[in-house]
Amino acid sequence: MLCTPNRFTWQLLGWASLSALLSLVSALLQRWDLDAGLLRWVVALLPVLPMVGYFLALTKWVRSLDEMQRLIQFEALLIQFGSTALFVMGYGLLAESGAVPNTPVGNLWPWIWLLLFVSWALGQLIVRRRYR
Amino acid sequence: MNNRLRVLRAEREWSQAHLAARLSVSRQTVNAIETGKYDPSLPLAFAIARLFEEPIEAIFSPNGGSDA
Repeated sequence: MLCTPNRFTWQLLGWASLSALLSLVSALLQRWDLDAGLLRWVVALLPVLPMVGYFLALTKWVRSLDEMQRLIQFEALLIQFGSTALFVMGYGLLAESGAVPNTPVGNLWPWIWLLLFVSWALGQLIVRRRYR
Repeated sequence: MNNRLRVLRAEREWSQAHLAARLSVSRQTVNAIETGKYDPSLPLAFAIARLFEEPIEAIFSPNGGSDA
């Protein structure tokens, strides 16, 4: 996140690690033949629950920043939003046309997450240069 | 917007980090204000004026202003 580690960094790492751990637990549980219905939903969505904490911590972190740092984050998130939206739109249209494989969203979402974080980091690098 | 923040800080022999701590902002924000890359909000400009005990217009002036 391009800043020195502080309590928010550890909170974010904690929530992300818990989500990764629950991904493993969820994958293990899904080896059993779960009945369709609520239990399958709960097991599949286990890794999502800690990410609620992740985004709450992220919100608290942004609110703790001063006005210029918040502006930097806002503009960096615009770059993230734009690049991810354009990628998803472009890939979707290419998949529809048959130019690229029509990857199921179940396989695509980890790459979208990666794109979100890479474009956010790049966005911060670009925007910070303006205020240096 | 032009400002005399660097001069006022130098007169008191404060570092950017010290001024940043007094204003509860980051050192990067102080640097960006001093170099004219970022114009502070009105509340932050008033906090700066209060800290240096000068009227806000004695610290900040519009670009091309004659009283810079």
